[in-house]
Amino acid sequence: MRFSDLISLIVANLSRRKGRVLLTAIGVMIGTAAVVTLVSLGAGLQKAATESLWGISDLSSIMVYPTYGGEMGGMVMIGGSQQEQQDAVLLTPSKISEIEALPGVERVIIQDYLSVGTEIKLDKLSSWGNIQGVSVSDLKEMNLAASQGTTELGMGKIIVGAYVNRNFYDPNQRYDEGPIDPPDLMGKILNVTLIKWNEEGGETRRTYRMEVAGVLQETRGEADYSMYMTLDEITRWNEWGRGQRINREKEGYNQVIVKAESPQIVLDVADQITGLGLQAYTPQSMVQGINSFFTTMQVIFGGIGAISLLVAAIGIANTMTMSILERTREIGIMKAIGATNNNILAIFLGEASGIGFVGGVGGSILGWGASKLINIFSASYLASQASAQGYMGNTMLATVTPFWLPIFAIVFATIVGLISGLYPSLNAATLVPVSALKYE
Amino acid sequence: MENGFIQTDDLKKYYRMNTVGVKALDGITIDIPRGAFAVIMGPSGSGKSTLLNLIGGLDWPTSGSIFVDGEEIEALDETELAAYRRNKVGFVFQSFNLISSMSAEENVGFPLRFAGVQAAQRKQRAREKLEEVGLADRMTHKPTELSGGEQQRVAIARALINNPVLILADEPTGNLDTTSGLSVMHTLADLQKSGKTIVVATHDPRMLSFATQTIYLLDGKQVSEETYHQTIEQLSWEGTN
Repeated sequence: MRFSDLISLIVANLSRRKGRVLLTAIGVMIGTAAVVTLVSLGAGLQKAATESLWGISDLSSIMVYPTYGGEMGGMVMIGGSQQEQQDAVLLTPSKISEIEALPGVERVIIQDYLSVGTEIKLDKLSSWGNIQGVSVSDLKEMNLAASQGTTELGMGKIIVGAYVNRNFYDPNQRYDEGPIDPPDLMGKILNVTLIKWNEEGGETRRTYRMEVAGVLQETRGEADYSMYMTLDEITRWNEWGRGQRINREKEGYNQVIVKAESPQIVLDVADQITGLGLQAYTPQSMVQGINSFFTTMQVIFGGIGAISLLVAAIGIANTMTMSILERTREIGIMKAIGATNNNILAIFLGEASGIGFVGGVGGSILGWGASKLINIFSASYLASQASAQGYMGNTMLATVTPFWLPIFAIVFATIVGLISGLYPSLNAATLVPVSALKYE
Repeated sequence: MENGFIQTDDLKKYYRMNTVGVKALDGITIDIPRGAFAVIMGPSGSGKSTLLNLIGGLDWPTSGSIFVDGEEIEALDETELAAYRRNKVGFVFQSFNLISSMSAEENVGFPLRFAGVQAAQRKQRAREKLEEVGLADRMTHKPTELSGGEQQRVAIARALINNPVLILADEPTGNLDTTSGLSVMHTLADLQKSGKTIVVATHDPRMLSFATQTIYLLDGKQVSEETYHQTIEQLSWEGTN
């Protein structure tokens, strides 16, 4: 039997039972639409998550931390992998030199946090904040840009993140008064008071006047709520807090940022740093983790949709069984005029696959349409939420339908049809011709 | 006529109906020559349709052998059997067995699909066959739009479409009125004259006037003409008393 004849026969057979075929196909359609919509939703969430991560992260940077020996400290996590427990490896100047010597490393930026009790005051307003010192003279080297003032660091100067001003409050404010307007910090003098306590509980304070030399652009990351100073100055403050000098060869630094020469080699450089016994985190490894999570989520979403397809598959099997019962005599006729078992099998499998195909095409269109509809509703909802919160970022798409998804869904629905039709079709193909001809 | 075109040897077909064993055929040995018009006579349940089905490869015997044109039918596998039915045999059934959704032309051309013949050729050959059986003006009619006689002539055209050497007809006049039945008998007789071997299972005695050979069956056994008539008379007498 020619393939074209087989197809035309299948189409003709399906056409003469339009109502039943359509009803059965609707089941497949709903299942396929569920798969397409849910997987699109998963893909949309994944895209939104990874894109926002790309937006806030410098793809060529690697955060490096010391490894502390011990039960848990010995674990070094990179992209979910584990290395054997090992002794403490600190971020000492000599270790940093080793990192700098690694191929692909452009520069190493030391980052240290203020570890002394602090009060920050601007006139009568108080604040708190994350103050850190960095070993660069210009924050541009950390891919930070200023919205006001400069990014150049210097003694007695502090550069603040875009939202640092939101942390200021009036300690004398009555509870029934609304929040204060965030002050404009540019060019203002902040009184930073360091506080330390001796063993008897006696308190010592020292206040520094720091001029706000610049306000950074929004990064939607840690930098938005951070204040930056020179590493030397923060080291001096920390030493005052401790009452002794810090020996970096013995204690190391808290963290360093390693800049790779290009984003393409970041993971390689991170692996090399891990090889030195340190902990290395890159936004890319986070993206890998996120991708892996969302891929799992898409599989789960697809699985939920596939349950509807399973129900539809039972519908196809039922329709085909009924159809074969009704057409038993026709099968007998076909065998009497020379059809082989394979011919009969191909015809009925083709019909079952055809129902799956029709449902798959309809379901893909329906699922794609539903995804678009979700996008329209979510876009207007997110826009209203964003404007309510005074945030004017781009609203991302809630669903993304990859080009392969409708094709996959159609193929999958066709295979579901084929498998559903397998048992009834095999029954049809193996009927004894004379019994089929006598069937009433 | 050359002997041995259809040969059966001690052919048996037993089956169980619920818990009762039925001997549909019990040791049938026949020899039908090529080009014969063989009539298998017998009342309902005598085994004539079973014998026809076994010769046509629609069923398998319990034991014994069937040779058709030198081929041992029960030794063929499923694919070979389908090829045998497609190329060598044409079936004509009492209930016509046409596919109701297809036109006369499509029904006649249907076996050619399984022979891999192209659509245009199928159409042309189906038209020729329908013209041969006098249905040139009924090509596009569905079976429900045709009379019983016309339907049977469509079925005969379908049986002839692959130019088989053997025509097996099971009660071909059973569902027809006298005139249509006679027309079908003449068509089958014409086919025999054209060189085809015709085997008809029937209890219509009019068919005997066309027969070159008659096989009498009673309760699955082959009997002589004399025994057959005596038994039938006996049954008729018992039936009326």
